[in-house]
Amino acid sequence: MKVLIVCTEKLPIPPVKGGAIQTFITGIVPDLRKHHSITIIGRNDETLPEKEVKDGIHYVRVPGGLLETYQEGVVNFLKNNSFDLIHIFNRPRLVLPIRGMAPGSRIILSMHNDMFKREKIDPDEAQKAINQVDKIITISNFIGEEIVKLFPDAQPKIQTVYSGVDLDRFVPLYSEKGRRIRASMRQKHQLESKKVILFAGRLSVNKGADVLLRAMGDLAKRYPNTALVLMGGKGFSDNRITDYIAYLKAIADRLPIPVITTGFVQPDQIQNWFAAADIFVCPSQWEEPLARVHYEAMAAGLPIVTTARGGNPEIIENGKNGLIVQKPEDTQEFVTHLSKLLSSPSLCREMGKYGRIVVEKNHNWNRVIDDISNIWSEVEYKIKHNIGIEIPSILEDENEGLFSSNKPLTVTGIKNTKAPVQSKKRKPVKKYPVSSSPWVNKQLIG
Amino acid sequence: MINLEQLISPWDIDETLGDLYVPPYIEEMAQQVIKQYDLKVTAMEVITTKADKGGLIWKINTNKGPKSLKILHRRPARSLFSIGAQEYLVNVKKARVPALVKTKSGSNIVEMGGKIWFIADWIEPLNPVSADIEGAKLLSHAIGEFNQHSKGYVPPKGAENASRLFRWPNAYKKIVRKMTWFKDIATLYSEYPASRTILNTVDMFEDHAKKALTMLEQSSYQQLVAKGNQEWGLVHQDYGWSNGQMGPGGMWIIDLDGVAYDLPIRDLRKLISGAMDDLGKWDIHWIVGMLEAYNEANPISDDLFEILLIDFSLPNLYYKNVKDMLIEPTIALNTELDSVVQRIVEIDQTKWSVIEQLRKEWRGGKRK
Repeated sequence: MKVLIVCTEKLPIPPVKGGAIQTFITGIVPDLRKHHSITIIGRNDETLPEKEVKDGIHYVRVPGGLLETYQEGVVNFLKNNSFDLIHIFNRPRLVLPIRGMAPGSRIILSMHNDMFKREKIDPDEAQKAINQVDKIITISNFIGEEIVKLFPDAQPKIQTVYSGVDLDRFVPLYSEKGRRIRASMRQKHQLESKKVILFAGRLSVNKGADVLLRAMGDLAKRYPNTALVLMGGKGFSDNRITDYIAYLKAIADRLPIPVITTGFVQPDQIQNWFAAADIFVCPSQWEEPLARVHYEAMAAGLPIVTTARGGNPEIIENGKNGLIVQKPEDTQEFVTHLSKLLSSPSLCREMGKYGRIVVEKNHNWNRVIDDISNIWSEVEYKIKHNIGIEIPSILEDENEGLFSSNKPLTVTGIKNTKAPVQSKKRKPVKKYPVSSSPWVNKQLIG
Repeated sequence: MINLEQLISPWDIDETLGDLYVPPYIEEMAQQVIKQYDLKVTAMEVITTKADKGGLIWKINTNKGPKSLKILHRRPARSLFSIGAQEYLVNVKKARVPALVKTKSGSNIVEMGGKIWFIADWIEPLNPVSADIEGAKLLSHAIGEFNQHSKGYVPPKGAENASRLFRWPNAYKKIVRKMTWFKDIATLYSEYPASRTILNTVDMFEDHAKKALTMLEQSSYQQLVAKGNQEWGLVHQDYGWSNGQMGPGGMWIIDLDGVAYDLPIRDLRKLISGAMDDLGKWDIHWIVGMLEAYNEANPISDDLFEILLIDFSLPNLYYKNVKDMLIEPTIALNTELDSVVQRIVEIDQTKWSVIEQLRKEWRGGKRK
C-alpha cells in the first residue's frame, strides 16, 4: 500500500529532539517499509532537510509549531499526492481536514494522549473524526477507556498497541555492555559506591519529582549511601529554570545525599543513565497515558516504583517487575517501597531480571511492528474487498480469522491490572538565571 | 565575525554586564533590521533590556520622528498575537496606542535571530499621572477604554491564540499549590530570618487561596467565560503607572507585548491591589473612585463584579512577594522579606471589611 504517516506539529522526526510519538514511528517504519511504500510528513527542523528519501522512506517536512500552520502544510501536500492509507498520530483535529483532501483514503488514528478531551477538540468534530477512521490505536488501555467514556461508539474501533523499546540500546545492567556503560557513567559522576535512584522525565508538577525528593529526606537517614539522579529538563531540549525547578533545587540542597540533575539529555544518550542506576522511580501525579520510561527501565533490568495513575500500572505486575504506589502524593508510600528495594539487592536483581523478560517478550519492536502490520493488512483487505469503514457485524464474524488483531490486545504474561481511576507600581524586572546548566546539590565525595 | 543567522539568547546571566549592555551581534542585527524600513536613523538609545529573556527596547531618532525599536522576547507566534492586537487597536479602534511602522515591503515585523522585531511610534510627550486618587482614576478609565476597544480582535494567521480566559481555576490552584512549596522550603530553611514569619502566616494565606478557589468554582465564572475570547477582548497584563501615561489627546497605553484574552477586570484588580499596597491599607474611597472611572469606559456587570471580589480575596500580595524565596532561599529569606511579610499581614487585615462593604454596596455599576 501507499501509506502516509502524519506526525504531530510539535517535534521533528526522526526524534532529534526526543518525543514518544517520534520514537514509536522510528521504531516501526524500517520493517513496515518492506511491504509498503511509506511517506512520513512531520514538522520542519533546522537540522533536517525539507524533503529527503532515507533508508527507503520518504520524508516531507513542513512548518510546525502551531497546529493551524502545520495543518495547512499537510493539506497542501495532499493536494498533489494520494495514498491508500493515512495513519495520523495523536491529532484527531487533523482527521477532517485530511479527509477533505483525501476522500478516497482510509484513515487510522494512533492516540498517545488524551487528545479527545473537551479542551482539545470540539465534541462534534471529534465524533465526525471517529466516524471517518477505520481504527483508533491507543498506547494503553487507559487512553482507549478515556475515549470511550466520551464517545461510546468509538469502542469497536479501539485497539491497544503497547509501545516498544530498543533492546540492543537499553541493555540490562548485568550484561557485559551494561556493566561497561555503568562503570564509566558511575566513575564520571562519582557514583561508584552509591545506590542510584533514577527519575526520568520533565521536571514538572505532573511528573512528581518533588514527591520523590521529599521522600528522599526520610530515606537518606536510613540509607545514607543513596544518590538521586533527575534526568530531564523543563521540557524537550529546554533547560530553563522554573519556580518548580527552583523548588526542587531548594529541597535537594538540604538533602544529605547527592542529587544530580542532568538537564536535557540527548535522546540517543538516555540509555546510559538507565545502565548507571539501581532503581527506577516514576512518581507521576497525573493520569499519565503510559510513560515510555517504564519500558526503558525494564529493558535496563531495573526494578520500578511507579504510581497508580493512568496507564502506568498496566505493565507492572505488582511485586514482580515493580511496585505500585497507590497514593502518589504520599511520600511515605514511596519511602516504604523504596526501603524494601534499598534493603534487598537480591529483590532488585530479581525484579530487574523479570522486567527484562517482560520487555523482551512483549515490548520488543517486532511485536509492535506485527500489531501495526496486522492493522494495516486489515485495512488493505477492506480496500481490496471494497468494505466500508464500518464493518457490518455479519462480515466481521465471517472474517474473524482474518482480522486476527481486531480484538483488544492482551499481552501474554501481563495481567491488565487496571488502576482505580481517581476522579479527577511597576517593580523593576527581577533577573534570574533562566538558562541554567544542570546542577548538583553538593560536591560529591567519591 | 558577526553571524546574523545565530539565535538571540539571554545574555548577562551573571548580571555583570550592566543593564544597558547589548551584545555586538544584536547591535549588528538591529542595523540589518533598520535597513528594511524606509527610515533614516540619526541616533539610537537603549531604553531597557530584558537580558535574562532576550528582549530589548531602543529609542531611535529618525527622519520621520522618534520611534521605538523593540525585540520581543516571547515566542514569535506569541508575539504576532500582540502585534496584531496593537495594529487592530490603532487602525480599527483608533485607540491611543503607538502606531506600528511598516517595513519597505509592507510588513509589521521583521524576524531575525529567532525573535520578532518591530518599530512603532515613540509618543512624546508622555507623563506619568499623579500618584494619588486622581491619577488612579485616570489610569482606571484608560484601561477600561483599552479593554472595551480590544473586543472583537481576531489574531492574524500564524499567531498563537493567547488566552488566559479559561485558565483562572488553574491559576488559583497554582497559588494554592505554591503555598505548600513555601511551607516546605521555610521548614527546610527554618534557621533563616524570614522563615518563622512565613511559617506563621502561610496557613492563613493558603486558607484564603483555597476559599477563593471554592468561591470561583461556585461563581458564574464558567457562564461568563463561555462568551468567548473575542467577546471579552484583551487584557494588558502589565498595566500601571508606567504603561499608562498622559500624552497628546489623553491617556496612552504602551508596551502591549503581553496582551492576552482574559476577563477584563484582571488589569483593574492588579491596578487596585497595587495601589492598596502603595497606600499601606485598603481604602474604599479609592476603590470606588477607580471602579466608577473604569465602569464609565467599560461597564462591569454584577456577575463580573463578584469575580473581581473573589480575585481580591486571593493572597495576591503575599504570593507575589514570597514566591521569589524558591529561587535562592538562603538569600531571599532575609530580614527584609520578614518585614515585607509582616507589612502584608497588616495590609491584609484591612482588606476583608472593604471587600464585604463592596459586596453589599456596589450594584449596577455604582455604589448604593
